[in-house]
Amino acid sequence: MDRNEFRDLYHDLRRGRITRRHFMAVTGLGVASAVVAACAPAASSPTPGPTAEPTPPPSEGATPAPTIDVNADWTPPEGVDLGDTLIMTTWPNYHDQKTLDRFKELTGVTVQLNIKGSNEEMLAELLVGGTGWDVLVPTNYTFETYGSKGIVEKLDLTKIPRFDASRYDQRLLSPAFYPAGSKDQYGFNKDWGTTGFTINTKQISTLLTTWKEFFERTQADLSGKVMIHDYQLTSIGSALVALGYSFNSVDDAELAKAEELLVAVKPHLFAITSDYQPAMRSGDAWMTMTWTNDAVQLHRDIPEIEYVIAADGGEIWSDFFAVVTGAPHREAAYAFLDFMATPKVAAQDAIFHGAPLIDSAAIALLPAEATGNKITYPDPASLTKLEFGTAELLTSQARADLWARVKSA
Amino acid sequence: MSERAADVELVDVTKRFGRFVAVERMNVSIARGTFYSLLGPSGCGKTTTLRMIAGFEQPSEGEVLIAGQPVAGVPAYRRNVNTVFQHYALFPHMDVARNVGYGLRQHGVKGEEERRRVDEALALVRLGGLGARRTWELSGGQQQRVALARALVNHPTVLLLDEPLGALDLKLRKEMQLELKALQHQVGITFVYVTHDQEEAITMSDVVVVMRDGRVQQQGSPQELYERPVNRFVAGFLGLSNFLAGRLVEHHPATGGAAVTIGEGMAIHGRVTDPEARPSAGAEVTVAVRPERLWIGRADDAAAERTAGATRVAGRVRQATYLGDQNEYRIETALGELVARRQNSEGGGALPGVGPGDPVLVGWRDEANLVLVA
Amino acid sequence: MTSGNESAGGRGRSRAVTALLLAPTSAWYLLLLIVPLIILLVFSLGARAPEGGYAPALQLDNYLELPTRATAFFNTLWMAAGGTMLCLLVGYPLAYYLATRAGTKRTLLLVLVVVPFWTSFLIRTYAWMTILGNQGIPAIAEGLGFGHIALINTPLAVMIGIVYNYLPLMVFPLYVSLERLDKRLLEASKDLGAGRLATFRQVTLPLSAAGLLSGAMLVFIPIMGEYVIPALLGGGKVFFVGNALVDLFLQSRNWPFGSAAAIVLILVILFAVTLYLRLGSRAGIQREVSIL
Repeated sequence: MDRNEFRDLYHDLRRGRITRRHFMAVTGLGVASAVVAACAPAASSPTPGPTAEPTPPPSEGATPAPTIDVNADWTPPEGVDLGDTLIMTTWPNYHDQKTLDRFKELTGVTVQLNIKGSNEEMLAELLVGGTGWDVLVPTNYTFETYGSKGIVEKLDLTKIPRFDASRYDQRLLSPAFYPAGSKDQYGFNKDWGTTGFTINTKQISTLLTTWKEFFERTQADLSGKVMIHDYQLTSIGSALVALGYSFNSVDDAELAKAEELLVAVKPHLFAITSDYQPAMRSGDAWMTMTWTNDAVQLHRDIPEIEYVIAADGGEIWSDFFAVVTGAPHREAAYAFLDFMATPKVAAQDAIFHGAPLIDSAAIALLPAEATGNKITYPDPASLTKLEFGTAELLTSQARADLWARVKSA
Repeated sequence: MSERAADVELVDVTKRFGRFVAVERMNVSIARGTFYSLLGPSGCGKTTTLRMIAGFEQPSEGEVLIAGQPVAGVPAYRRNVNTVFQHYALFPHMDVARNVGYGLRQHGVKGEEERRRVDEALALVRLGGLGARRTWELSGGQQQRVALARALVNHPTVLLLDEPLGALDLKLRKEMQLELKALQHQVGITFVYVTHDQEEAITMSDVVVVMRDGRVQQQGSPQELYERPVNRFVAGFLGLSNFLAGRLVEHHPATGGAAVTIGEGMAIHGRVTDPEARPSAGAEVTVAVRPERLWIGRADDAAAERTAGATRVAGRVRQATYLGDQNEYRIETALGELVARRQNSEGGGALPGVGPGDPVLVGWRDEANLVLVA
Repeated sequence: MTSGNESAGGRGRSRAVTALLLAPTSAWYLLLLIVPLIILLVFSLGARAPEGGYAPALQLDNYLELPTRATAFFNTLWMAAGGTMLCLLVGYPLAYYLATRAGTKRTLLLVLVVVPFWTSFLIRTYAWMTILGNQGIPAIAEGLGFGHIALINTPLAVMIGIVYNYLPLMVFPLYVSLERLDKRLLEASKDLGAGRLATFRQVTLPLSAAGLLSGAMLVFIPIMGEYVIPALLGGGKVFFVGNALVDLFLQSRNWPFGSAAAIVLILVILFAVTLYLRLGSRAGIQREVSIL
C-alpha cells in the first residue's frame, strides 16, 4: 500500500464509508490492538477481562466540538492565560524535545520534565502531596488508586477538544475511567507497549526467547552483564513468569519463589535500574529488561540491540496523560493535553519515542518506517501470553516489601 | 688542653644552603668536660654548627667527630648527644616525668629504672616531686629545667644548648647562668653553648669561640678573648673599646711589640694581639683601648705626670653618666671621642667637681694598647 | 550596695538578651530537629496504610522486622568504617605533605585539593560512572593486558567514590592539626633517640589525634547516611541504609518501617559519636594516645 492509497482509505474512514475495523485490518494497524484485548487481565481485575465484549466506539455525532479539525495544526485556546511553566512527571526517554519546544513556541509555556523510575515513586510523592506537578504519565493500573485518592482530576473534556474517544480502542482507554465502567474519565492514552528484554547480539550470539532463559543465563554465562528494572511490578512480575506463574500473582507461595529467584540472580546483575539505556549503549551491559519505547530507541541507534517479547509471558501496558488535582498550572496542563491529543503532534512525537500509538488518526499519519517497525508493532501472536498489570500490584504490601528485601539483600 | 681527649671535633667543616655559606672551613676541637660557647651575632653560623653536631644538618664539606668517631651519616637519634632547645620543645601531650623519661624509653629503659633515673634528673635540676605536672603549668624557668633534665638524664657525651636562656627575664637568666655553670661542674659533661650574649659567654664558659659570617674569629678563654682580641670585631663584640686609627711604624714579631702613630703624629707603643699577623711597616692598624684602662684627671692635677701613663691627651667632658657600679665619661679629645670608665669601689668612681664642659686630662699605659691588624 | 543591685539587674538583662539572641537557634532546632525526630518516632510505631504511607498504630513490629535489613546495616557500617580508614590512609600523608610545604606551593596545593569541589557533587559522581565504566579504566587495563576487570556497580566502585568525595573532609582537619604541630618537637624527639617511625608514633600521631578524630567523624557520619554514591556507582546492588530508606519511603511506601530503620541508623551514628567523644577526651587527658 502506498501513501496515496493509505490516504484514500483514511478519508473513506473519516467519511464513514468503511468501518474502523476494516480500516485497521487493511492497514495492519488494528491487529496489535485487537490482540491487546485478549491480553487483558482476569475478570476479577477492575479492567475489563478478556471475556468482556468489545465496547462499541461512540457514534461520530457524540464527538464534542465538531468545529475543530483534528488534522489541522494545533492552536492554543483563545482567551486563556496559560502562564509560562508546566511541570510534567514522566518516564525516561519518553518525549521528543522538539514536541515540547513546539508547545513553547505556540504557547510560551516551558514544559519541565520530572523523570521517575516507577509508578511507585510517582505515587509515593503524590501521597505526600504538595508536589506542584501538573501533568502525569501514569500507567493503566494506577487509576484505581489515583481516582480513589483524588490524586488526578476528572478530565474536563471541553478543554481537550482534539481528544475524540472514537479514535481510541475502548479496551485500551477503559482503565482511565474511575470507578471502572463509569463515565468519569481521568486520562487518555499516550501509547502502549510491552515489557520484554533487549539483547546486544554482538555479544550474545544465541538468542534468548523466554524470561526463564533470561534469569537462567543471567546466573550463568551472562553474569555481570544483565540489568533488571528498579521496579517491583515489572521485575517481580517477570520473575513470576519465568517460574511459570502469572505476572500478576500475589500468592504468598509464588511470591516467595520469585523472591528466592531474584535474590539468587541479584549478585549476577550488572545493575538494578530503570534508566538502563546508558549502560546498554556504552556496552557495560549486554542484556536488560526493557520497555518497548526504549527498545525502539536503542535499536534505532545500535542495530545489533534486538528486542525480545518473552514467549513465556510478561507485561503489556498503556500509559496515559492525566492532570494532577490542584495542578498549579491547570490551564497549561489542559492545553498540553489537547496539544498531545492532536494526531499530528502525537504522530511526530511517536517517531522519537517509538512506542505504538492508540489514536487511529495519529497512527494514520505515521510514516511507513514507523508503522513497519517490528519492535513497535510486533507480530500479534507474540502478544498472546502477555498480561496487563492489575491495580492491586501497585499497592500490594507483600510485593513492596518483597522488592525492598531483594534490594537490601 | 691538647693532652685531654676531644669530645667534639670539627675538621674543615663547611655548610652551604644553596649558594649561601653558613659555616666556612671551621676547625674546632672541644675538650672533654669543657663548657664551650659559640658566640656571635645572629646569622653568624653558630646554630648551624650546633645542628651539625646534633645531627640535624650534615656538613657540605669536612668532618664532624664525636668522642673521636666520625659521625657522617649517623642520624640525630643515633648520636649520643642531646640538645636543650631554645624554646625547650617540651612534649605538650606528656607530663613532666614522661617528658624527662622520653630519651630513656627510646633506649629501652622503662618501668622502675626509668622512674628512678627520671627522679634523679629532676632532683638534679631542683624539680623533685613535679613529675606529674603538665608542662604548660610550669613557669619558664621550670620548663627550662625540665628541658635540661630531659637531656641530662640520657648521660650524653655532649650536651648542646641552643640559647636556652633567651626566653627568660634578666634576673632569672643571671640565676640560671650560675646554676648551669655549677651543674656542668657537677655532671662533668661537655657543654656546647650557643649564645649571642657576650656577657653570658664570658660568665659561663671555659672556652669561647667567636664567629662572624660563618667564620671563626677567635677561640680561647674569656680572659684571652677580652684581653687579647685578635681583631676589631672581637674587640668590639666582647666588651667596649676605644678604637683609634693608626699607622704601623715598626713590629717585632717575636715579642709582638709595635710602635704606631695615631692622630696628628702621636707615637704610642703597644702589642700586636694576633700572633700570626705579620703587618709591614706603614700598614693601617687599629689601636683598641678598653675604657677601664683610661685614667682621667683634672687638667690641673699635679699627679697626672706620674700616674697617667705614657700616652696623654687633653680633652673636655661631653657627658658623665652614673652606671651604679661604674661612672662613665665621654670626652672630646684631639683623637676623637674617648670613653672612660671608673670603678665605683669605695665610692671613688666619680671625679669630684668634674662635669660636662670641664677640661680633663686622659692618659693610659702602653700595656693598654691593643694593636689590631684586621 | 547600689552597685551590687545594678550588676544583679545587669545580669538579669543580659540573661534576657542571651535568651533573645538564642531564640532563632532554639526555634530552628525545635522545628527542624526535635519535632521531626518525634514524628519519626511516632511513625516508627505505626502501620503501613493500604496504599502506602502511615496509618496510626502502636506496635513494635517495624523494629522486629529490622533484622531483615541487617545486610544493609552491616554494609553501611562496613563501608563507612572502611571508607573512613581509607580516607585516613590516603588523607594523612597528603595532609602531612601539605602541612610541610612552604608558602606559595602550599597555597597552590591546597587550592588543587579544593578545585574539584567547585563542580557539583552529582557531576563528579557521574564522571566516575564513566571512568569506572567498561569504557574507562577497565578498557585501559584490558588494553594493557590485565584481562577484564569489573569496576562499576561493585563495592570497590562505591568505595572509590566515597574516598574521592570525602577525602577533603579528612584532609583539612588533619592539615590544620599537622600544620600547627611544632616541628621542633620532632627534632627534640629525634635528638632524644627516637627514629622516624618512633617519632611519628609518639609525637606526630598523638599531637594530630584531635584532627584525626574530627576528620574521621566528619567522614564517618555522612558516609553512614550516604545514598547517592551507592545508587550511582553501585547500580542498585551495593546497598546502604540510606538506599533502603529511599526505597522504603519512595517505592514501597512503608513509612513506619522506614522510620524505624531511620531511628536505628540515628542510634548507630549516636553510638559512634559517643565513642568518638570518649576517644577524644582520652586523647586530651591521657599521656599518650597509642592508636596503632
